[in-house]
Amino acid sequence: MRRSSLFGFDIILLSSTFLLVILGIFFIFSSGVTATGEIYSTEYIKQIVWAVTGLIWLLFLTFSNYRNMKNLAPTIYIIFIILLFITLSFGKVVNGAKSWLGIGDFGIQPSEFAKISTIIFLAFYLQTIGSNIRKLRFFLIGLLIIMVPVGFIIIQPDMGTSLVYFPVFLTMAFLAGAKVRHIFFLILLTCCTTILTILPYLEEMIMGIQYPVFTILKKPEFLLFSLLGIGLIFAVSLWGLMIFKKRYFYWIIYGSSILAGSSICSFGAHMVLKDYQVMRLISFINPYIDPRGTGWNIIQSITAVGSGGVWGKGFLQGTQSHYQYLPQQSTDFIFSIIAEELGFFGGFIILVLYLVILLRGVQILSNTNDKFGLLLGSGILAMILFHLFVNIGMAMGIMPITGIPLLFLSYGGSSLWTALIGIGILLNLSFKQYR
Amino acid sequence: MSDSYGFKIPRDRLLIFRFIIILPIAILLFYLFNLQVVKGLEYQKKAEDILKRDVPIIAQRGMIYDRNYDEPLVYNIDSFAVNVIPGDIPDEDKQRVFKSLSEILKIKENKITDKVKKIGYHQYRPVEIAQGISFKSVAYIAEHMDQFPGVTWISKPIRGYSEETASSLSHVIGYVDEITSEELNIYYNQGYNINSTIGKSGVEKQYDYFLKGIDGKRFKIVDVTEKSLLEKPDADIPPQPGKNLVLTINKDYQVLSEKALGERTGCVLVMRPTTGEILAMVSYPWFDPRIFYAENSSEKFAELSLNPLSPFLNRAVQSAYPPASVFKVIMSTAMLEENAFPIDATITCTGEMVVGDRTAHCWNKTGHGPLSFYDGLANSCNIYFFTIGSEYIGEETIIRYANSFGLGRLTGIDLPGEDPGFIPTPQWKLQHENMKWLKGDTMNLSIGQGWVTVNSIQIAEVISMIANEGKAYKPHVLKEVRDPITGEIIESIEPEELERPYISAQTFQHVKEGMSKVINVGTGRLVTTKAVQVVGKTGTSETGVEEVYKSWFASFAPYKTDNLDERVVVVVLIEDPMNQQWWASQTANIIYQGIFAQQNYEQAMKTLYPWMKFEEPKEQEEQ
Repeated sequence: MRRSSLFGFDIILLSSTFLLVILGIFFIFSSGVTATGEIYSTEYIKQIVWAVTGLIWLLFLTFSNYRNMKNLAPTIYIIFIILLFITLSFGKVVNGAKSWLGIGDFGIQPSEFAKISTIIFLAFYLQTIGSNIRKLRFFLIGLLIIMVPVGFIIIQPDMGTSLVYFPVFLTMAFLAGAKVRHIFFLILLTCCTTILTILPYLEEMIMGIQYPVFTILKKPEFLLFSLLGIGLIFAVSLWGLMIFKKRYFYWIIYGSSILAGSSICSFGAHMVLKDYQVMRLISFINPYIDPRGTGWNIIQSITAVGSGGVWGKGFLQGTQSHYQYLPQQSTDFIFSIIAEELGFFGGFIILVLYLVILLRGVQILSNTNDKFGLLLGSGILAMILFHLFVNIGMAMGIMPITGIPLLFLSYGGSSLWTALIGIGILLNLSFKQYR
Repeated sequence: MSDSYGFKIPRDRLLIFRFIIILPIAILLFYLFNLQVVKGLEYQKKAEDILKRDVPIIAQRGMIYDRNYDEPLVYNIDSFAVNVIPGDIPDEDKQRVFKSLSEILKIKENKITDKVKKIGYHQYRPVEIAQGISFKSVAYIAEHMDQFPGVTWISKPIRGYSEETASSLSHVIGYVDEITSEELNIYYNQGYNINSTIGKSGVEKQYDYFLKGIDGKRFKIVDVTEKSLLEKPDADIPPQPGKNLVLTINKDYQVLSEKALGERTGCVLVMRPTTGEILAMVSYPWFDPRIFYAENSSEKFAELSLNPLSPFLNRAVQSAYPPASVFKVIMSTAMLEENAFPIDATITCTGEMVVGDRTAHCWNKTGHGPLSFYDGLANSCNIYFFTIGSEYIGEETIIRYANSFGLGRLTGIDLPGEDPGFIPTPQWKLQHENMKWLKGDTMNLSIGQGWVTVNSIQIAEVISMIANEGKAYKPHVLKEVRDPITGEIIESIEPEELERPYISAQTFQHVKEGMSKVINVGTGRLVTTKAVQVVGKTGTSETGVEEVYKSWFASFAPYKTDNLDERVVVVVLIEDPMNQQWWASQTANIIYQGIFAQQNYEQAMKTLYPWMKFEEPKEQEEQ
C-alpha cells in the first residue's frame, strides 16, 4: 500500500532527514570558519561521527520491533530518571547548566534522551489506561509522569529543555482521547502563569515605572488574599455544583482554579527564576534594553537572518557569522547562519523539509493499527515540532531565547542521536505496516 | 493490552494534529519572508553598520603667528588621546582597568570614573579620558591590549607654546580644552562632538572656527572583538587642517611691554592708531597655558582660578576702571569744540572749591594759581575742570562727548568678554539711585571719577581719535588668515573706520598741544625718552581705600610726524601702584624708548636710567 518505499523504508521520511543532517554538517563547518578563511573548529568532523553513529541507532530501531519497548518502557523510564539524578549530582556544567554526564570530552546529555524514554513510558501508560484518560485523575497521573524529569531538568537548570515535555504530553494525551477541557486547562494555566510572571518585570524594566497593580503580584500578602478570595469563590461554586448541578458552577470552578493555580505558579516562578532568565525574557520583548548583553544574541541573529535576503550571501560568505557577531552559530543559532548564507531560499527549503517529515510522520500514524505506536510517534513528532518552532522562532526574534537546539541541524551528539532515534522509531512504525 | 485490538484511529484528532503542525511552520515562513524578502535591504544595511567603524582622524589645529609670520607663537605637538568604551570593559574588570590606566597615564583615577559616569557605565560610545599622552605610554597599552579591554587611542596633537605665548601673550591667545556639555549643546551643529577640543578664551575662542579645521574619517571593517579586518585607505576622508592665524601683535613690542610692566598688576596696550591694530597687549598676572597639559592640571587650574589677582582675567579687555584724569582730554575736546570757554582765559586754582555745603579739593592742596587751558591740562588741575564742567559745559555735553569717543559701549575688539564700561546719566541716576543729578556729580564726572568706568581699549581708542584728529578704527588682534599648507593669505583684515561725530581738527590740535605740555612741563615729566616726542595724559583714580590708587598713562608718539603709520598709542594701567604711582608713565617711557630707538628692554633701561642697575626707580613725586 505504500508506494514510496525502498526495501520497505519510507524513502521520503528518510531522505528528508538525511538532507537536513547533511545541511547541518555543512553549516557547522561554515560556523567554524573565520572571516580570513581559517578553519578553527573541528565540530563538523565530530558531527559527522555523531551522524554516522546516529544512523546505526536509526537502523537498529527501524529493524527492531517497537512493540518490545512496551515491556521495557517502565525500566527505560526509571533508568533515565536515575541518570538525570546522577547528572544533577555528578554532572559537568556546560553553559551554566549541569546537564552533562561523561568522562573528558566524551559525554551525553541525559536530558535529551530522557525525552524519548518519557515518551515511551507515557505511550505505555496512556495505552494501558485506555479510555480512563478522560478521567481527571488519570490525566493528572500522566502529567505527573512528565513532571518528574521536568523537575530534574529545571533544577539543572535548563528551562528550555524542560518546556518540551508539555507539548509532548498534551499532544499524546490529546490523541489518546483526553478531554479537551483538561488540555485547555493546562494550556490556559501555562499562559496565565507566563503573563503573571512577566508583568511585574515588564513594567519595571521596560517602561521604567512601577504600577502597584503589577508589583503587588510579587508580594506574598497579596497572594494570600487573592487565594483566599478565589478559594471562597471556588468553595461556593463547588457547593452550588453539588446542590443545584448547574453547568455554570463547573466553569466558575474551572476558571477560578486556573487563576489560583497560575498565581501560585507565578509566585513560585519569581522565587525560582534567575536574573539572567528574567533578562532573557525582557530582552525578548525589547532586545535594545541591553543590546550588548542579553539582547545581543537576538539583535545579531535577526540581523544575520534579515541580511540574508532572498538568495543569501553564499556559502561561507556570511558577514555576521564569519565576523563572529553571531554567537553559538553551530548550536542554538545554526538556522541564522543558514538563513544568512542561503537566504529565504534556504530557509524555505529547510522549513519544507521539516514539514515533509512531520506530515509524513502523521501519515504513518494514521496508517498504524496500534495505539502504543501511534502515541509513541505523536510524541516524537510533537518534540520535533516544538524544537523547530522555538529554535527558528528564536533566530527570528519571535520566541525568547531558551537555548534548545534545532533537531537534525544543530551541532551536538545527544540531540542528533535523539532526533535520529525518533526517526528510527517512526520508520519502524511504517515498517511494521508492511508486514 | 486488549485495547490494541479494539483500537480505532482518532482520525479527527489526527487531522487537528496536522493543522497544529502546519500552523507554526506557516507562521515561521511568514516571518522569514517578512524578515528576508520584505525587510532584506534594511537588514543588509544594518549588518554593514554593525561591521563598519569610522575612526576620526583629528585635524591639525591652525597655528598662530605674530605679525612677522616667522616663528609660530602656538603650534602643535604630536601626542595621543586615550579613549575608553565603557561598555566594552567587563564590569568586574572596570576597577582594575581604570586603576592601571590612571597609573600609566598619570591621571587621577576619579577623573576617569567621573568622565565615564558622565556618559554611562554601559555605553558603547568612546569617551576621551586623557590627552597629551606620549607615544611611549600608548605603546605600552598597545603591547598589553589583553589587560585593557575597551581602551583605544587616536592621534590628537596638543598645543605647543613659544616663550612669549606661555607668558604675557596668554590672554590674547587664550587656551584650549575639552568641550563641555553646555558648549556642545550650543555648537553641536557646527561640527563639534563630545571629544572635540575647543578654544576657551582669547583668539583660540574667538577664531575657533578658523583654527579647528575639519576632522577626517577612516573606515574599517571590524569583527566582534573590534579587531580590524579590513581597512579601506582609499575611502578615507582626509582631515582638513585648521587655518593659520597671523596676529597684529609684534612679538618684540610684546616682550618689551611685558618687561616694562614687570610684576605689577595692571595692563599695557600698544596700538597702531591709523589701523586699530593691537601691537602688544599685556595683562599681569598672566597664566601659563601649558598647565592644561600638566599632570595635575585640574588642581593647577583650580589654584589659578582662586587666585585673588585673577590671572585668567585679561585686564586690558575684560575689566573697566574709572578713567580719572585721563577723562580730562575729553573735557578739553568738549570745551574747545563747543567754544564754551576761551583757550587763553584763566581760572584761578586755590586748591579748593566750595559747592553747596561741601568742599572739593584739587590734588595740589596749595593751589595752582591762575591757569589757562594748557596749564590746566598739563597740571591736571581739578579746580580748572570742575569749573569748566559744572559751569561752562554741563553734564549733557560731557556725556555727549564721552559717547562721541566711544565710551560706555563695546569697541568690538575681536577678543571675548569685553567689558563695555559705563557712562552715568541723570536719567540713570534717577532710576537707579532714585536721586537727582547734582552739581557735585557733574564735577565728579569732569575728572573721570564717580560712576564712570572705561576699559583700556576704549582709552586707546580715545587717544587714537585725538592722534588721528577725529578718525577712529576698530581695534583688532587678527591680521591675516593663511592657508596652512601654501601659506597663501585667505583673508586679510582691513582697517575698519568707526563712525564718529565731526569734531574739528583744530580742536584736536589744541588738545594734542595740551597733552604735549603734560609731558614737557606737567604731570608726565617722567617720560624722558629722547627717541621720540611723546604726548599723553596721566590719571590716578581713587579706589576708595586710602593710599590705594589706579594709575593711568594714556599717550601716543610721535607728536608730529609726516609718516602717520609710525605712530603708536600706548596705554598703561597699574592697579594699586602704592608708592609706585608714577610707574604707569615710566612703563610707557621704556616702551617708547624701545620702539623708537629699536632697543630691547635692557638696552632701553640702560639708555633711560644709566645710573640704575636694572632696579626699578623708586621716585616719589606728588601728582
